[in-house]
Amino acid sequence: MIRKELVAASAEPLVLSLLANGESYGYAIIQEVKARSDGKLNWTDGMLYPVLHRMEHRGLIKSRWAESETGRKRKYYSLKKDGKTAMARHHEQWSLVHSVLAGLRKEQYV
Amino acid sequence: MLAAGIKTPVPLEELEIHLREEIERQMEAGLNEQASFISAVQKLGPAHSVQNEFMKVDKTRNALEWKLMEIGLTLATIMVPLLFGGIVLQRSSFIDMTAAEELSSLAALAAFSLLAWSGRLGHRFLPVIQNRRIRDAILFSCCVPLMLWWVVFFRLILPRHDFTMGEFLVAFTWAFFTPVGVCIGLNWGIETVARKRSAPAGF
Repeated sequence: MIRKELVAASAEPLVLSLLANGESYGYAIIQEVKARSDGKLNWTDGMLYPVLHRMEHRGLIKSRWAESETGRKRKYYSLKKDGKTAMARHHEQWSLVHSVLAGLRKEQYV
Repeated sequence: MLAAGIKTPVPLEELEIHLREEIERQMEAGLNEQASFISAVQKLGPAHSVQNEFMKVDKTRNALEWKLMEIGLTLATIMVPLLFGGIVLQRSSFIDMTAAEELSSLAALAAFSLLAWSGRLGHRFLPVIQNRRIRDAILFSCCVPLMLWWVVFFRLILPRHDFTMGEFLVAFTWAFFTPVGVCIGLNWGIETVARKRSAPAGF
């Protein structure tokens, strides 16, 4: 299981990256993250919503209420321009951490 | 969630929709209604933790709004006297206005700024009122008499006096700006002291 500090830190870049593929709603975002991580990145479901609200307040994402094809009311979130910039910054930073870690790991096997 | 204190309709509705979707999915997977409900609630996480996270979002939002409000108040209490003071100084040479009247009008504008800033700077002498509704009630109870006073001044007092332009400017600046300064100062101070005392460490 991934440490909760890492789960919390990765929430924003993951949400931004998922929303870059198109608008989505809370439940679907959680399921998507679970599926993509083979269930290893397990969010406490309720904790996603304050994250979404905070990101909306910061102007990274926007929301709209709409009805799904089954008639269920859902709050759909989508990326804003600032969100795209924030996502690019996150990718850059996480890539840097990843490359440093990968480099160090490689050295250990040489 | 309601019992835990999440009262705002939007998060509550969103969380309820989430619960319904999860219960539906669990039932499709073969669980009965009760087991699905218990599982969905557990996955949602402890209500107080979710509530705490929403409170952090609200506090961040309120802090930002208050910062913007303070910038607005600062600009208003500096720019308005400068603007009106400039008008008084410029007009005094064209209209019938004595030096004493000019000085009195400028003093009224200075009093407006000082009264407004005295609340902000002297906030530690004001009582700490944590309850937002009481603070709103104080603001409301300041605004209502202020507006009533303006009505009395413009509809009853001004028409009964044959003021010269200079006298009118003196009466107007004292009657209009000084009470606004008191109102801004009192509420600015009360809001500042409440926010300073309630801000948690590291926030």
